[in-house]
Amino acid sequence: MPRLRLTGRGLWITALIVPPLAVMVTFVAYPILSALAYAFYDWQGLQRGDFVGLANFHEVLFTEPFATWTRNAFVHNVIVFFSLMVIQNGFGFILAYALWRELPGAAFHRVAVFLPVVLSTVIIGFLWKLFFHPLFGPVNQIFRGLGLDFLAQPWLGQSSTALASLIFVNAWAWVGFPTLVFLAGMQRIPGEILDAARMETDSEWVVIKKIVWPLVAPSATVVFILLFIGSFNWFELPYIMVGLDGSPFGSTDVLGLYFYRTAFGNQSAGVQDFGRGSALAVITFLFIAIVAAFWTVRLRKREIQL
Amino acid sequence: MARLSLKGVKKRFKETEVLHGIDLEIGDREFVVFVGPSGCGKSTLLRLIAGLDPITEGSFRLNEKLMNTVPPSKRGISMVFQSYALYPHMDVYENMAFGIRLMGLDKPEIDKRIGEAAKMLQLEPLLKRKPRELSGGQRQRVAIARALVRKPQVFLLDEPLSNLDAALRSEVRLEIAKLHQDIGGTMIYVTHDQIEAMTLADKIVVMNEGRIEQVGTPHELYESPANTFVATFIGSPKMTLLEARTANGKLSIPNGGSVTGSAPDGAGETVTVGMRPDALDIAEGDAPEGFGADVVYTEYLGNDAYVYARLADGTLVSVRAAPKTYYPANARITVMPRAEALHYFDSASGARL
Repeated sequence: MPRLRLTGRGLWITALIVPPLAVMVTFVAYPILSALAYAFYDWQGLQRGDFVGLANFHEVLFTEPFATWTRNAFVHNVIVFFSLMVIQNGFGFILAYALWRELPGAAFHRVAVFLPVVLSTVIIGFLWKLFFHPLFGPVNQIFRGLGLDFLAQPWLGQSSTALASLIFVNAWAWVGFPTLVFLAGMQRIPGEILDAARMETDSEWVVIKKIVWPLVAPSATVVFILLFIGSFNWFELPYIMVGLDGSPFGSTDVLGLYFYRTAFGNQSAGVQDFGRGSALAVITFLFIAIVAAFWTVRLRKREIQL
Repeated sequence: MARLSLKGVKKRFKETEVLHGIDLEIGDREFVVFVGPSGCGKSTLLRLIAGLDPITEGSFRLNEKLMNTVPPSKRGISMVFQSYALYPHMDVYENMAFGIRLMGLDKPEIDKRIGEAAKMLQLEPLLKRKPRELSGGQRQRVAIARALVRKPQVFLLDEPLSNLDAALRSEVRLEIAKLHQDIGGTMIYVTHDQIEAMTLADKIVVMNEGRIEQVGTPHELYESPANTFVATFIGSPKMTLLEARTANGKLSIPNGGSVTGSAPDGAGETVTVGMRPDALDIAEGDAPEGFGADVVYTEYLGNDAYVYARLADGTLVSVRAAPKTYYPANARITVMPRAEALHYFDSASGARL
């Protein structure tokens, strides 16, 4: 039977582990677990009521009007995810390829593309809100200047364009991340493999499709998973640019905003319900965790050793 | 039919010129080896022929047709890379099928060609394997098979054996030689290993610092090297070069002895004498004819022994001797060249006399 003896080394390890562990437990583990617990209680403002089992979950998912709001927000998250998958990651790949091929100005653009990623979301949201201003914003002024008056729209102010505008801003800001990952993936491809491909085809498209993309795709796993998580946790950008209500008329409402409104209330709702909010958070968390885990395992299988 | 003709080919990367005007003719079905120390431009030249890098100046013709701007895939040339460069995400079959499918061949023809190549290189049981599941030698064979199925006019091989271990190397070397006999295409083979060059080549191109030093059969290069570079590069252990004074029908080194023999016409007062290890005999102690030397060490190789010794002027000389030969370090010997086996080079230019 080995005895637990605190040696000098053990003391050191303990001293180093305990403080961060305490912080993690207090500020991460405890809130998560309590949120999980809150979801099973009735709430009157800040006061915890009775244990209600799965009633909060049922309300959020199946009772009107909450069910419609939930579905509406969820659909928007799905739209955001797929749009960003195509636009953000698609452009990321194209940019990475252009940078990799060392097109003129590559050195400058390598930095430029990544710059917005470093900016704070608050600043990005604020700036683009100004850019999109219907009257004074440079976006519409440029369109008018070019004689494209029909494109001078209140981008954030109408249901048909608000979500698309947010997606555009998100893609603009974070395209540098997939670009960086794809570029790293491309730079990892041995030069002789590309030479071998060039010996067999002079079509750049074939080389991209049959050689470059299959070899880069595995490194995209992390990009896809992070985008998925980010899309369903989307909060800061819509909060700053369109407010807590997902204006106009809920056309930009997403799970993050909806959760915040439900749990903490806002000017229009006034009511706080920690129970329903927590239920929503738990559902969102489970959805993200399960899909992301499943997907990671599947994509990992395709990874290729160079 | 595949005849290659390079005229005044130069290659510059930005400001640096790495090939300074290459003129070379390669005949149909020849096995040509480019050999030289690293950085001599042999791989660069191969890449120019392949079309992977553009030619800066000069012309490259394949069967009289100017190839300078023809893309690599349209030249009828296949290449085997040093790292094999197999596509890691495709199995062996797909690696071979990739190129010929793009050539527009139909499925039966693709299967037929892959079947033939797989049979020739014993790859049939491996067709469904991914490259990472293959050994180095198997990967090498897949790379060759992939070049083969395209039925190219010219094969390029860039140091194909350098990633194999020594035992496998001589085995694959034989296979490549046999392959050349069987398929009869023109092959250009790049290596820094002069033994590979000697054993495989119909014609060796010795390169150094972006220039061709000499082109010839292995026999020609060994027997009559054009200059001191070729003389010392070809042959192992390498030829000993000695600065000798010529006077009165004798070649002598200061305080180091002399041998009877006269340098050919055109030699100055001093001449560079080249002595291969097998052109020398050894006598114990000092002898009237020959160069006195102190043994540095004796190398026993089983079927031979090599004695390394230092002459009076500091030159290290290597001598091939009978396997039983052994001299302890610092033993005094006399090295006696056989006059008919000596090579003479101009002391200033290094050119053969």
